[in-house]
Amino acid sequence: MAFLELRNVVKSFGRNEVVRGLSLSVEKGEFVSFLGGSGCGKTTTLRMIAGFEAPTEGSIFVEGAELSRVPPNRRRLGMVFQNYALFPNMTARRNIAFGLRVEGKKGPEVERRVDEMLELIGLGEFGERYPHQLSGGQQQRVALARALAPGPRALLLDEPLSALDAKIRVRLRDDIRAIQRELGITTIYVTHDQEEALSISDRVAVMRDGLIEQIGAPFEIYDRPATPYVAGFIGTLNLLQATALDPEEGSLLVEGQVVRVGRRLEARPGEARSLRLRPEALSLGGPGSNRLAAKLVNVKLHGAIVRLVARVGGQEVLVDCFNDRSLELPGIGADLSLTFAPESCAVERP
Amino acid sequence: MSDAKPIRKAFSWIWLAIGLLYFFIPLLATFLFSLRGKKGALSFVAYGHVFADPQFLKTFGFSLGMAACTVVAGLALIVPTAIWVYLKLPKAKPVIELLTLMPFVIPPIILAFGLIRTYSRPPFAWISSPAILVAGYVVISFPYIYKAVDAGLRSMDLRGLTEAAQSLGAGWPTLLFKVILPNLRTALLSALFLTFAIVVGELTLAVLLAWPAFGPYMALMGRNLAYEPAALAILSFGLTWGAIALMQALGEKH
Repeated sequence: MAFLELRNVVKSFGRNEVVRGLSLSVEKGEFVSFLGGSGCGKTTTLRMIAGFEAPTEGSIFVEGAELSRVPPNRRRLGMVFQNYALFPNMTARRNIAFGLRVEGKKGPEVERRVDEMLELIGLGEFGERYPHQLSGGQQQRVALARALAPGPRALLLDEPLSALDAKIRVRLRDDIRAIQRELGITTIYVTHDQEEALSISDRVAVMRDGLIEQIGAPFEIYDRPATPYVAGFIGTLNLLQATALDPEEGSLLVEGQVVRVGRRLEARPGEARSLRLRPEALSLGGPGSNRLAAKLVNVKLHGAIVRLVARVGGQEVLVDCFNDRSLELPGIGADLSLTFAPESCAVERP
Repeated sequence: MSDAKPIRKAFSWIWLAIGLLYFFIPLLATFLFSLRGKKGALSFVAYGHVFADPQFLKTFGFSLGMAACTVVAGLALIVPTAIWVYLKLPKAKPVIELLTLMPFVIPPIILAFGLIRTYSRPPFAWISSPAILVAGYVVISFPYIYKAVDAGLRSMDLRGLTEAAQSLGAGWPTLLFKVILPNLRTALLSALFLTFAIVVGELTLAVLLAWPAFGPYMALMGRNLAYEPAALAILSFGLTWGAIALMQALGEKH
């Protein structure tokens, strides 16, 4: 039996159905991210698990027990909020001790646990500070410690890094993952940041219109997107207009150039199709049996990656290369030969 | 832009000075007048007369007691209501705000007659109970308490704090007394201050419901004497502020 299970959960606000029959199973100790754009229902789903919203239909189970009508304070699920929600009238220590004191614990037992938590989040010397005396990153660490201190059954995080700046965000997300691994706590993480979700999760649930569009390991989601929406939402994607040439042989025409995808196409000759290609699947004259003649239009440096903007006939194509010393970039307007392997592209209806 | 800033700052100071003068000049004039009890010299003789009158401390004590009861009853009624409206019934907020304005629209004399008519015959013959006076005072101070609590709730992330506390296992009493009320401290103090100021000097309800309160006592003194009412006004002012300062100090200590 799954540790956490959602069965056909529906949530409506008036006539607006925000979550539409969502089902999900999460194993004990797993780190699952809900990823999606605004209004996809990811936060509402998390809030239903936490108990802040009641499902209109369906059931939520934790360790086999139905939770849908259990109030949030009896669920024993730790929650971390986007805006930290630390108690302003309490020091970091007292914030962390809050859940323990609510449980009726006192004295040295509480102090020991608070010290442990402060150590875990690396803020041992900040215990006596009030929230307003801490930076955003420190406040979120305290919020994490506060949620973990009573030993919850699962940890729920609602866009915990959205209010932080980029550098702290990356560091803190790695720390969250390290702490989650150390404690082995089942975690549900809501984010709209695909890089965040892909980098720290065991599984990512890509959500759209109140449903899970695809759920899988980060590599699976990125490399084998199940739907055009997931393919477009995760990472950057080139969508090239093509025409089926020989469906049995798996060949298409892109701007008059032949491309082979290495498998049979479900199309009639001459039928329009879209060719999906990740920018990193293309290279400048590297390995790959497919070759497209292009012209270089622009070059953008993204730190470790150099993104080339090229034109294949009338269509724009993005190509990502590593920014290493061997990279020799042609000038703007130069002719390029873009290569890619047949298995690195997918074909879909336009 | 940079030239506008000092000018704006100067104007702020000017307005503050005007405000302070508006507030302190009558107070100073009353104080100076209260010192003229003895012909040809400034003296505290009027204050001596006030303290010598046993009615002074009796009525002032009564009004302070009523003010304390009003604060407790008013906050017990309004704080949970305001929190509930914020969290569960945000659409009802305009209605509540309209209700809070009612005491400005309905004069205290109407309220007093309403209370007398309703509570002076069976089955509700409670008019002789001080609880009816407190209930009237709660109505009068309703807008001030609600506005102060509303401002306090606006300045905090009520929903976030509530949900955080609930996710940590807290029920409503813990949430209210450990999280919300401590963070509403400033708002509660200002509600307390305003309620004390209103109740201690209140006249209409106390007269019509026939209670020996400080308001009627001051009015009586004002009719019969010259310097003592001025001394009384200064004393009541100082004592009210002293009581509030004491409560604030106690609040800070806890």
